[in-house]
Amino acid sequence: MEISNLPISPSIRSKLLSKGYTSLSSLSSISPSFLAQELSVKLEEAVEVLRAVSDTTTSKSAHIPYGIIPGAVTAWDMLSEEQMQRHISTGCEDLDAILGGGIHCKEVTEVGGVPGIGKTQLGIQLAVNVQIPVEYGGLGGKAVYIDTEGSFMAERAYQIAEGCIYDILDKFPSNSREFLSCKERLQVNNFLAGIFYFRICSYTEQIAVINYLENFLTEHGDVKLVIIDSVTFHFRQDFDDLAQRTRVLGGLSLRLMKLSKMFNLAVVLLNQVTTKFTDGSFQLTLALGDSWSHSCTNRIILHWNGNERCAYIEKSPSVPSASAPYLVTGKGIRGINSNFKRARIM
Amino acid sequence: MLFSTVAPASTSTSTSRDADSIPQHHPARDQFAPIPIPLRSLLPHSKLSLGCPILSRLLSGGLPVGTLTEISGESATGKSQLCLQLLLSSLLPPCLGGLAASSLLILPSLLPFSSLLKRLSRLPSPLHPSPLDHIFVASAHSPDHLMMLLYQADRLFHKSPSLMPPLRLVMVDSIAAIFRSEFDNNFGDLKARTGMFFKVAAKLKEQASRFGAVAVVTNQVVDVMGPEMAGDVGNNHHMGPALLSSGRMVAPAMGLSWANCVNTRIFLSRNDEMAAVGVNGEDMAACTRRRMEVVFAPHVPRSSCEFVIRKDGVFGLDIERQ
Repeated sequence: MEISNLPISPSIRSKLLSKGYTSLSSLSSISPSFLAQELSVKLEEAVEVLRAVSDTTTSKSAHIPYGIIPGAVTAWDMLSEEQMQRHISTGCEDLDAILGGGIHCKEVTEVGGVPGIGKTQLGIQLAVNVQIPVEYGGLGGKAVYIDTEGSFMAERAYQIAEGCIYDILDKFPSNSREFLSCKERLQVNNFLAGIFYFRICSYTEQIAVINYLENFLTEHGDVKLVIIDSVTFHFRQDFDDLAQRTRVLGGLSLRLMKLSKMFNLAVVLLNQVTTKFTDGSFQLTLALGDSWSHSCTNRIILHWNGNERCAYIEKSPSVPSASAPYLVTGKGIRGINSNFKRARIM
Repeated sequence: MLFSTVAPASTSTSTSRDADSIPQHHPARDQFAPIPIPLRSLLPHSKLSLGCPILSRLLSGGLPVGTLTEISGESATGKSQLCLQLLLSSLLPPCLGGLAASSLLILPSLLPFSSLLKRLSRLPSPLHPSPLDHIFVASAHSPDHLMMLLYQADRLFHKSPSLMPPLRLVMVDSIAAIFRSEFDNNFGDLKARTGMFFKVAAKLKEQASRFGAVAVVTNQVVDVMGPEMAGDVGNNHHMGPALLSSGRMVAPAMGLSWANCVNTRIFLSRNDEMAAVGVNGEDMAACTRRRMEVVFAPHVPRSSCEFVIRKDGVFGLDIERQ
């Protein structure tokens, strides 16, 4: 009983217990004069008892969030942390808007679409945009790009980085002293150096790189984005044991989710599409099967709407399903309301 | 020179990966700690020229090294002609847009061999005295046989430049013919066929990336139905703006799964049109207009240009960006 742990004399303790005060909370809102009367003790002794109670209570409450379960945080702390999170811009204002600001850190986002729709372009754009300095509204972080298909071209990354810098300098023409130092950092070569590029040629190499990522990310603490382009390619060869494939993929996604939370970074997985026979007709669906579809926090599908490219949020815990059109221009991914004079539409 | 399965005595002795052929920072070099490749070292990205400056400009220099390109089109649109032009181009030194390399051409059958040899020998090659010495030809009668040939080709990639130019271009003409009769139409076989697409594509891309080579395949086209059949996704209009040839809507064969396997897709089309000829434009005659379209590529936007096929090769006319 809590009263028995209080540093008070045994006679007062037995008096408290006989009067029915068995817990600290029962003594929390009693005035010293009332307690002195109850226990038939002097006022000073009652004050000492209450002081002992309050000392024990305050020291205990300081431990409550951590003492219950190690590592647990209150929902309030989580909310304020989430609201302070910056998001990675995709380059298209409409798409950023429906995503609630951009790609979220601490979450795994899957982006799928038909060949040629712009998945790799979006991947490169994110790898560039994550490096936008904090002073210009970005995260100022670096990116890890794991290329399994060979579609990543450094010269395209160069063009997109150039376009990004051009637009930043256009939007923030200020020449004040704070901006001058970060303007110097806005060099295309710095942006290229900020992308850690891995080329993977088999599914065993893919598993090895993802296993190695934890060490790599511990060494390079400023990485804020990990992209895998595409997570599917090496897993669509004929796997004799489909159950094993599901297990391996499940393990991969769990590891990536853990990395995203541990290092506070965003994980973006690019996926391919396939056709599935449902409801009597063939529907487009993301590859890797039904069990994989539960592995990612967010799902974005890129598709053609006539001659226009569109992004559709299929699954997200924080924003409603919505669609936004986007363009792939010479400078990278842009929205349709971007300045037409400069954007060259593809 | 025919591709032989018996290794000549002068081949490099190591059957495993030759360390010198792997770039310094390649992740495969160290199995336990993959090292990222600095992007500065990948610039400028080597490309294989198409043999014509206008066509190469359409692809911003040519076919990028380390990628798999598909050239699709109806029959008689110039696919094989373009392939032969690429074979010759690969012999040129890099300063002229080539790879200074040997090439491997895989066909479904060598029966039309004499005509193939004739075409190869007729190609102009002012800078190369004997181009045929550096072009290997083989036939694959099934996808499994194709995989076996690609594994056997690994040692050709390793050859040191002093003996013979190493293999840097692998061409399959056409991939659809090799896959065509092998699989039945039931569900299990379709899954196996899709698995083979990815296996073949992964092997080609791995060789291309590891050795700085270029992989090219040609593909046939199939007809697709119009948008009245909307909702039936099997008919391909989820792939974006339609491709037209000879006035019909077509799509490259082997479906959506194969489309996911290639990095670059080039579409050749032909359209017979009535054009005015004669001094005052009073006569109308049919003429064939040919178009090369980049459907998707990692480094250039969707664009197209017209081209002609002449005795001495395939040449572009002008550039239009859509």
